[in-house]
Amino acid sequence: MNKKQILNNALSHGLLLVAVAFALYPVLWVIALAFSGETTPGARAIPVPTAPTMDHLREVVSTTRPTPDGGTAWLFGQQLANSLLVSIATALVGVGVAIPVAYALARFEFVGKSGGMATLLATQMFPAVASAVPLFIMLEAMGLLNTRTGLILCYASTSVPFAIFQLRGAFETIPVDLEEAAMVDGASRFEAFVRVVLPVAKPAIAVTFLFAFMTAYNEFILAATLLSDESMFTLPVVLQRFIGEYDAQWEAFAAGALVVSIPVMALFYLLQKHMVAGLGAGGVKG
Amino acid sequence: MICLRAWRWLAAFAFLLAASALGISPARATSPPVPDATAPVTIWHAYRGVEQATLDALVASFDGDVNVLAIPYDAFGAKLAAAIPLGEGPDLFIDSHERLGDFIHRGLVTPLPPETLEEAAYAPQALAAVTLPDTEGRPRRWGAPLSMKSLALYVNTDLLPEAPATLEGFGELTETLPEGVFPLAWEANSAYAHAAILGAYGIGLLTEEETFGMRGDGAERSLTLVLNLLKAGVLPEDADGALVTDLFRSGKAAAVISGPWLAGDLPDTLHYEVRDLPAVADAARGRTRGEGDAPALMRPLLTVESLMISPRGATHPRAAALLAHLTSAEAGRRRARDARALSARTDAPPPSADAFLRAFQAQASLATPMPAVRAMRAVWEPASRAIRKTLRQDMAPERALEEAARRFRDVRRPPPPPKDPTVLLTVLGALSLFGALTLVHRARRPAMRARLRASLPAYRYVIHGVLLVGVLVLGPILVGAATALFAGQPHQMYYVGLDNFVDILTARSGPLFASGSFYLVLIVTVAWTACNVVLHLAIGVTLALVLSRPLLKLKSVYRVLLIVPWSVPSYVTALAWKGMFHRQFGAVTGIIEGLNDIFGTHLEPIAWFATFSTSFAANLTTNVWLGFPFMMVVTLGALTAVPKDVLEAAEVDGATPLQRLWHVTLPMIKPTMIPATVLGSIWTFNMFNVVFLVSGGEPDGTTDILISEAYRWAFTREARYGYAAAYAVLIFLILAGASTAGARWIDRSKERA
Amino acid sequence: MVNVETQGLRKSFGDTEVLKGIDLRVPEGAFAVLVGPSGCGKSTLLRLLAGLEEASEGTILFGGEDVTTRAPKDRDVAMVFQSYALYPHMSVRDNLAFGLKLRKTPSNVITARVDEAAAVLGLEPLLDRFPRALSGGQRQRVAMGRAIVRRSKLFLFDEPLSNLDPSLRTQVRVDIRKQHDRLGATSIYVTHDQVEAMTLADLLFVLSEGEVQQSGSPLEVYEDPANRFVAGFVGSPAMNFIEGCRVSADGTAVHVGEHRLTLTPRETYAPAQLADLEVCVGVRPHDLNVVTESNNSLPFSPSILETLGPEIHAHGTFGAHEGVVAVSAEIRLARGVMVHVRPTRLYLFDQATGATLR
Repeated sequence: MNKKQILNNALSHGLLLVAVAFALYPVLWVIALAFSGETTPGARAIPVPTAPTMDHLREVVSTTRPTPDGGTAWLFGQQLANSLLVSIATALVGVGVAIPVAYALARFEFVGKSGGMATLLATQMFPAVASAVPLFIMLEAMGLLNTRTGLILCYASTSVPFAIFQLRGAFETIPVDLEEAAMVDGASRFEAFVRVVLPVAKPAIAVTFLFAFMTAYNEFILAATLLSDESMFTLPVVLQRFIGEYDAQWEAFAAGALVVSIPVMALFYLLQKHMVAGLGAGGVKG
Repeated sequence: MICLRAWRWLAAFAFLLAASALGISPARATSPPVPDATAPVTIWHAYRGVEQATLDALVASFDGDVNVLAIPYDAFGAKLAAAIPLGEGPDLFIDSHERLGDFIHRGLVTPLPPETLEEAAYAPQALAAVTLPDTEGRPRRWGAPLSMKSLALYVNTDLLPEAPATLEGFGELTETLPEGVFPLAWEANSAYAHAAILGAYGIGLLTEEETFGMRGDGAERSLTLVLNLLKAGVLPEDADGALVTDLFRSGKAAAVISGPWLAGDLPDTLHYEVRDLPAVADAARGRTRGEGDAPALMRPLLTVESLMISPRGATHPRAAALLAHLTSAEAGRRRARDARALSARTDAPPPSADAFLRAFQAQASLATPMPAVRAMRAVWEPASRAIRKTLRQDMAPERALEEAARRFRDVRRPPPPPKDPTVLLTVLGALSLFGALTLVHRARRPAMRARLRASLPAYRYVIHGVLLVGVLVLGPILVGAATALFAGQPHQMYYVGLDNFVDILTARSGPLFASGSFYLVLIVTVAWTACNVVLHLAIGVTLALVLSRPLLKLKSVYRVLLIVPWSVPSYVTALAWKGMFHRQFGAVTGIIEGLNDIFGTHLEPIAWFATFSTSFAANLTTNVWLGFPFMMVVTLGALTAVPKDVLEAAEVDGATPLQRLWHVTLPMIKPTMIPATVLGSIWTFNMFNVVFLVSGGEPDGTTDILISEAYRWAFTREARYGYAAAYAVLIFLILAGASTAGARWIDRSKERA
Repeated sequence: MVNVETQGLRKSFGDTEVLKGIDLRVPEGAFAVLVGPSGCGKSTLLRLLAGLEEASEGTILFGGEDVTTRAPKDRDVAMVFQSYALYPHMSVRDNLAFGLKLRKTPSNVITARVDEAAAVLGLEPLLDRFPRALSGGQRQRVAMGRAIVRRSKLFLFDEPLSNLDPSLRTQVRVDIRKQHDRLGATSIYVTHDQVEAMTLADLLFVLSEGEVQQSGSPLEVYEDPANRFVAGFVGSPAMNFIEGCRVSADGTAVHVGEHRLTLTPRETYAPAQLADLEVCVGVRPHDLNVVTESNNSLPFSPSILETLGPEIHAHGTFGAHEGVVAVSAEIRLARGVMVHVRPTRLYLFDQATGATLR
């Protein structure tokens, strides 16, 4: 290595370290806060917990509610389960609906294709503020207010357009030859799609699944509006209650945030190596 | 091109959906279903902590089935408004009395049946608070008062054994108190706190005629008074609730004006007492009545927490019994004992040992019930802005108040009058007829028929997606868009034509670039989008380029760490950043203090949300943090597709690294980057979460972007959904127009290439 | 084993007609090669036979049975793709077995057939690998194996050698022919490489612009091209063409500039029809010899020599026309030589239509 390369490498590492510090600082701050025993610590630059304690974590995680039969149920566990259930179901429904549509858009020519694509794109531009009330009224008419099903339908509908774009891009990168080979080998078009295209697109599908999961897992406005039963709440709604206008329980919020973030971060890191390929290879092409 | 086609589709659906939007209004007027006697009574509240526990205990002692639901305070109003008209909501709910006017208007609450209240047992000001005229103008009781809250004076008895009797008196304490201790602190920027001072001048925030009350000599003098206290260093600058708490608990304020909620944050080691608010000497001057120079007492606003009955609850046989149970004298005493809530009943006085609650009781008798009429909702924003602008010396009191009055009238402007929908229906009818004819005509052409037949296999793959997206995405969007042509309350909307749009686009007849006008907000939104996208791209692409250097070590470690921001739920990070920008204990202040310690400088901690530029910067930092990993990952992906030999060819041709980047790498990743950038721009343009959660539009709504402005019109101002929908349609048109123009531009540059 | 026939097969994509009425007749067990330049429609024709595209017009018959509208899976054909189209998510074994599994073949039969194909193609050590871990040649063999295990009555090959190193091509070419001879199934093979076509084919179809220009055995096509296109396409190096020549009035000779070449009735020239006609003269590089005399010869100015080993290709000009002469020993450049034309190996083409004149 010559001098110039050494200098370049040092510069690269320097730049990356600064970026990593920027990326990690808020996360460390939340972690420090979550384990700080002293309420409302003074301003501190270095994110290290003061008077370390697990109290906040315990307090957030151990909420209960009375059950009809007189016992108590683990409320937080129920809410965590709600969040996971709603998010997984959203991702399954969203990706499930998007897959065949995206495949048709990638492989078939049909009347209404470009119109449909344009409409899908347009739905991404319309702010949810205005469509929330009609959606609410509709869910009520279907008797799905204050149900997890209603919430799942809402989330799935918002995640479908993006999933379609994403998957269409992924399917387009799969050589048509593979399906044709399968068809010559004795598969119907649909069999070829299921037995060849889907397995080959698995990484892209996983990434799309993750995004749909995250949409649902992170949402709180709709959830707070649609659900009116504590045992039905998802975690973001619970977390939101810690930050009020007058008495923000920052430590409890931080502890809760930590617990909430772990599943989604785990999933994210499981799939992150597919993400570069998935997004780069035309995944987000409109 | 793309979007022109989209319009054809939209037009095809428009008639159908506009019709269904019209159809919604009468259908909604039906009465809620009658619950049977065995159904549990549902009660909603926004309590937390001991208040929640006490309520739960009281409910548990009730003989009957009760559903109790705690709802986040921020979502409480919106949920009530959404659920009750559909017969879904609670039978009883607990809220502050000041929302009654709005609840009555929306039909969310019914008057208490006669004889429900033992009126003699209640404090008169509490009864006055829940008394409002019904639609026929007869005064009715709309809720059962539970507890009362008002501001009072907390005095640190170690610092201040004797509190001055007048506000001005605190000014003389600057000399005697230790260095760095403020004589007095309160949330001076808030109209709620300032109302107590206005009360001393005999002024209310709202006049009897429901016009903006903060006008004239007294109001201006009240502002000048506070400004002088600020200038003299009697009060801290830009104090918000958290700062007031912080100063008092750390002994840096000898006295503070705050409500009962402050006590929960105070350590046991602090010695303090609660007293009546001081008088205002200045208010007594120039009074013509024969009271001499006797100082005028400050009169804080009284909030009466009340138990209200929804229309459904009025039909529930057990609701009244639960109401009686929860408002009994026994319940009041219990609340006083366990939750330390000041009961609205005179026969449930605070325990005699509870000096704290007794002090608040004394103050409550001097307090003025907050007006509960709807007009009150429009007061807060302009009044608080005027106070802030005066105290920051951005504006003279007179002008600031004048502006506030104008803003008040602006929000209170009556919605446009109904219009005859014939024109719309005719146009829509003609359009849909034309559309249908065109479709039929085209479908009859043999070439088209052949294409349709060839399309059949594809339709089998898309039909369910079309149905789902059509019903759950397109339907609500089109109905929502159609709402833009309507005004009025959600369930009694009437057609107003394009008046909402005219109103918005003429900046509601005010100056085109007045604060809060569509054009100013649009400029902020565009600046917001541009800054974000530029920074996302710059950081993302730079990091990706560095990460793809072939000789670099630890690449995957860096990559994993750098996408952390993407993996954390965005509302968590938004709230975390809000905390980090907190002036007192935020990490950013910590960093500034750290720098001061190291370099011996005297940088002041910044109140990030006090000025536009810092508040905008805080939002920007948060969103840049949130968004750069996406661009980085997209760029990394695109870079893997750049063939090495092309770069090598350029190197052989003698291109410098920078030239290779500019002339080879960037053009080659452009096809991937452009769609990602377009998508990123759309997301940023509508990035509600960050703006709403981090700055919340502070200061004075200047950092609001179009979507948060629309949200405010729909949910925090006068529930003008039509108006909000018009904003949404405009946002859509802007984005659609911009991306169509962008797509054309890209096509053209492709042709040139 | 099945014979394949198409009648008036047409295919259009939008307004462009890719196949303009193809009549194909491939007898049972034959190895037919469709050859032509890129864009001639040969791949489309193969895809029509496989059922991957729908014919716009015409019929396809397999063993006399009309399969024109049948789905690919119901045609019982096996196909080797140019890209090999190996399923990346399956091991080599599963790749081979996939077609049989789809047809619900009993598993013991599958195992037997896969093992047999693997043995024949030398794939045994690779059975548990995934396609991404295979070399180009190995992938090609897996693709072949996938077709072989199917025991189809018709094999289709879509340029199966074009992604291979030239050094491997000859060997694989021989392997393909061997397998064909072993299995005896009818094969239809598409290529743009006329050497491949000549070496493999029992029956050659030369396609250009959506039409079959000529069909026949490779030798027939080489010896007796139907038109100037076929003559130029088949044979390497390509035939030399000299335009603007005139047949003598008696029809016994053709004048190339001032040089006169005798026309020997190879089969049946019809002197009466040819007399005084302006034609294009074609002569293959191997039918030219460098000579010293000027009898029945043309002047040639060589400019570049390509030494292939046993023979040398001299590139140069015949007057104003570029051309190639195959010579056995080096000749001096930059000096014109005379090349003798074997009278029996002279082709005449219609100046306007390109049709071979006889």
